[in-house]
Amino acid sequence: MSNSDSHTTGSPYAPQTAAETATMLEAVGADDLESLFDVPESVAFDGEFGIDARSERAARREVARLLGRNADLTEFLGRGHYDHYVPSVVDDLASRSEFLTSYTQYQPEVAQGFLQALFEFQSMLVELTGLGVANCSMYDDATALGEAATLSQRVRSVSGDRILVPEHLREGKRAVLSNYADGPELTVESYPMTDGVVDVPALTDEIGDDTAMVYAESPTVRGVIEERLSAIGDLAHDHEALFCLGSDPVALSLLERPVDVGADVVVGDAASLGTGTAYGFGLGMFVTREEYLRQVPGRLVGASEDAADRRAYTLTLQTREQHIRKERATSNICTNQAWVALRTAMHAAWLGPDGLVDLAEDCVTRARDLADRLDDIVGVKAPVHGRHHFREFLAHTDQPASAIVADLAAEGFAVHAVGDHLVQVCATETTADATDEFVAALREVAK
Amino acid sequence: MSFDVPDDLRYLESHEWVRVAGDTAAVGITAFAQDELGDVVFVELPEEGAELAAGEDFGVVESIKAVSDVYAPVSGTVTAVNDRLRDEPELLNEDPFGDGWMLEVEVADESEVDDLLSPDAYRDQIE
Amino acid sequence: MKYDQARWTDDNEDRYEPLLSEKASQTVDIDDSPLPDDLTRDSLSLPDPAEPELARHYTRLSQMNYGVESGPFPLGSCTMKYNPSFTEDVAARADAAIHPDRPDSTTQGTLALCHRLQDYLGRIGGMDAVTLQPPAGAAGEFTGIQIAKAYHEHNDDERSEVIIPDSAHGTNFATAAMAGYDVVELPSGDDGRVDIEALEAAVGDETAALMLTNPNTLGLFERDIEHVADIVHDAGGLLYYDGANLNALLGRARPGDMGFDVMHYNVHKTFATPHGGGGPGAGPVGVREELAQFLPNPHVRERGGNFEHYEPDHSIGKVHGFYGNWPVLLKTFAYIARLGDEGLRDASAKAVLNANYLAEQIEYEVPFGPFHHEFVASAGEQDAADAAKRMLDYGVHPPTTKWPEIVDEALMTEPTEGETKRSLDQLAAAFNAVAGDSDAELADAPSRPTAKRIDQATAARNPRLSWQALDDT
Repeated sequence: MSNSDSHTTGSPYAPQTAAETATMLEAVGADDLESLFDVPESVAFDGEFGIDARSERAARREVARLLGRNADLTEFLGRGHYDHYVPSVVDDLASRSEFLTSYTQYQPEVAQGFLQALFEFQSMLVELTGLGVANCSMYDDATALGEAATLSQRVRSVSGDRILVPEHLREGKRAVLSNYADGPELTVESYPMTDGVVDVPALTDEIGDDTAMVYAESPTVRGVIEERLSAIGDLAHDHEALFCLGSDPVALSLLERPVDVGADVVVGDAASLGTGTAYGFGLGMFVTREEYLRQVPGRLVGASEDAADRRAYTLTLQTREQHIRKERATSNICTNQAWVALRTAMHAAWLGPDGLVDLAEDCVTRARDLADRLDDIVGVKAPVHGRHHFREFLAHTDQPASAIVADLAAEGFAVHAVGDHLVQVCATETTADATDEFVAALREVAK
Repeated sequence: MSFDVPDDLRYLESHEWVRVAGDTAAVGITAFAQDELGDVVFVELPEEGAELAAGEDFGVVESIKAVSDVYAPVSGTVTAVNDRLRDEPELLNEDPFGDGWMLEVEVADESEVDDLLSPDAYRDQIE
Repeated sequence: MKYDQARWTDDNEDRYEPLLSEKASQTVDIDDSPLPDDLTRDSLSLPDPAEPELARHYTRLSQMNYGVESGPFPLGSCTMKYNPSFTEDVAARADAAIHPDRPDSTTQGTLALCHRLQDYLGRIGGMDAVTLQPPAGAAGEFTGIQIAKAYHEHNDDERSEVIIPDSAHGTNFATAAMAGYDVVELPSGDDGRVDIEALEAAVGDETAALMLTNPNTLGLFERDIEHVADIVHDAGGLLYYDGANLNALLGRARPGDMGFDVMHYNVHKTFATPHGGGGPGAGPVGVREELAQFLPNPHVRERGGNFEHYEPDHSIGKVHGFYGNWPVLLKTFAYIARLGDEGLRDASAKAVLNANYLAEQIEYEVPFGPFHHEFVASAGEQDAADAAKRMLDYGVHPPTTKWPEIVDEALMTEPTEGETKRSLDQLAAAFNAVAGDSDAELADAPSRPTAKRIDQATAARNPRLSWQALDDT
């Protein structure tokens, strides 16, 4: 039996024995299992799904066989999804079943461990941003941005329905924002950028008293470190609009503190710490000012005391949430990304502040060094924008970008095609060992 | 359990009370209401000068696991707001008819008071 | 050093875990950075534990947490079933850890697996097309309602209302509002099911959709489902299936066959992906053929043996920045492949038997019935929340409390298929012990966990949401 690849005895995770089943059926007065289903004949399903059961080994082999069709590429890819080295201890600790298989902390007395970990996660984001309130996760950066837009409509005193976003914005992020903007009838409009950064005079022309929120990113989707965040924040506040800043925890370890540039909300993806590349699987961070506390979407962990007067943690301000406030909730979110946040907190703690700052500084120097090397290649000009970069940058190629991408894939490397002759290249410590080969390959295909 | 229903007040079915003195009325929620809600953790009230319309909601009371709108027993202009509730929402639990008062209103139409429940009628409703 | 201070102990008093910030913290000044000073922060203050300290910290925290492997977890509406270990290994595969922006030609394995999972879920739900993009059940609801909206707008038939039974999950109401709809709440009938007369009165030209959970949150199958579907469809509305309770019906009834037009699956409930202390989950959405043109962008299809992303003709756009919660979807696939037809049918049968058996064994009153995967008992004169705290003292996780509100002092109980008769008997003994305990014993509970009863009112009245906000450190 254990060597068989087929499995035909029901669910291996339903542990009752046949004798137990019989006893239990008798106890409930049922003749057989089927009679327990109170389903009218006319809608009963009497067909088959046609899904064969497999042994555990066969199921694993099947996944291996399917995923074996993925090309083995060294990815110099970023644009919102980043690979940083995740230490083994994160996998080890996060896999403990008391964390992994627990539920949302509605019984805090037996969920103190996860609650404390999430409280620590929130605290780390408070330190990174300088803002007072971090929730314990949204799905990803795009949905966090959508939530920020709806928050802006709730908290802004003057009526206004325009959400201004940068011209350089990941398409997927903008598409999600548009869906969140649909219900509350907000309009999403782009403002221009100049040589990789926000064109502040142009934004000044675009913004008006009907603007609910201005969104900017640093680093931008092209990896450029924005240079005039304070000016953007001032502009937003001149029109009583919220200033929402997109970033990530590694960048925030080094770049200007959001609170110092006037950010009212900080969103972004935090999964690059703790999880790394996972086909877009993310962790939305959402941090805002204390004055908007009661309009925050998602779960919040707070400190309190237990009956023994010891500090204890609990989900709090739940009246904002869907299970209590229903159609007047701040968001419909229920299941979030708590376990991903746990991993991020573990990774951040493992790095410590010096490790985080070192990592962030590496992101600046790696991008700079790689751009310099690519700029030496005939047929390549890098970086396109004469700015400071973080992890990634644009390069101009004489050859069509699509040809560069395809030819590099054949050599075992992946980069982004961003325009007809524009590619984007991302460098982190996980690709460092492959950099020489990558540069050599690009030298060949860029001719 | 029987709840205090002071005889000098008038009531709404939705558990608000009003104490009329001349053309001014104090408004709050009843002892029964606070008990149903449990520990009150947050009270949202209008600003001074706001206009209330009888029967319309003017604020929100939150406990840990419930949210309730609060309705105006009478129409009028808000002349005072109990600011203590901002930091001490538990006053609604501890002293709903006293320190837990919510608003004072300058009554626009005194005849609206006649439409409210008498103490006996309210007692019947909650028993 | 005194013995008292030196000894390691299991005594509760000494087993609280300090915050990371209280154990080892460091402030790093930022100078000599590769960036100009005006683009950087001045300093960063964060915990700085060495790895052995970190390992002990989180290990201790895990010990203060209750999971499915800790014991019975009969949390109603949450389907806290056992999460097979091997699916974790599947999700951790190196060849699964790819970047989302690679060309389709280099991700054929991932696309093939997604395509297969779309197909599996379609068969299980009786749906013609399935998107994997929504990252959670509520995101699935949002996707489904946006699809319904797109459908009506496509037909130049804008509608303003979504009808939802009073017993529904809070997410349904919040989702409808988020999509810009007015919510029409439908009172339940005396039998705990949809009140047909009330539904007939509620539907009309403004009805965009009825959102329904079946079996509903009381564990009851909506026997009139075909009639319900006719009423909604005759009014021009769509029927939305909330998949939270699908674990009750695998292989016995399919939403598509019941007349539902669009549904979401909660894979972290039905298909055993771990709940992770609140997430991640995934909320794939299935639709019937006519609605496939509105699915999120991109969708996966097969063309001549190859798989590719494409944008459906009238796609609602995106609900996740990339393709959803991929590792969770991998676990889902592995679970379904492991169980197959027979395993899935068995899972439902045992889940339903376990709920019925447990309902039979407990002394609390259990109104309504017949039940499927869950039942709602009433704590009667006891406070359900207090009863739940007392159950912690008997070493089991309590049921969901005080919801749905149709039942007084509700104890919403879903044991799942993952319990033996022996563990159900233990669980019943815990219920029955609590039923016999005094109000004082309930009010003082719990005494067994490290943390005693936690003061939620103080947490809400004086929000302290970070270690920076603590005044006692």
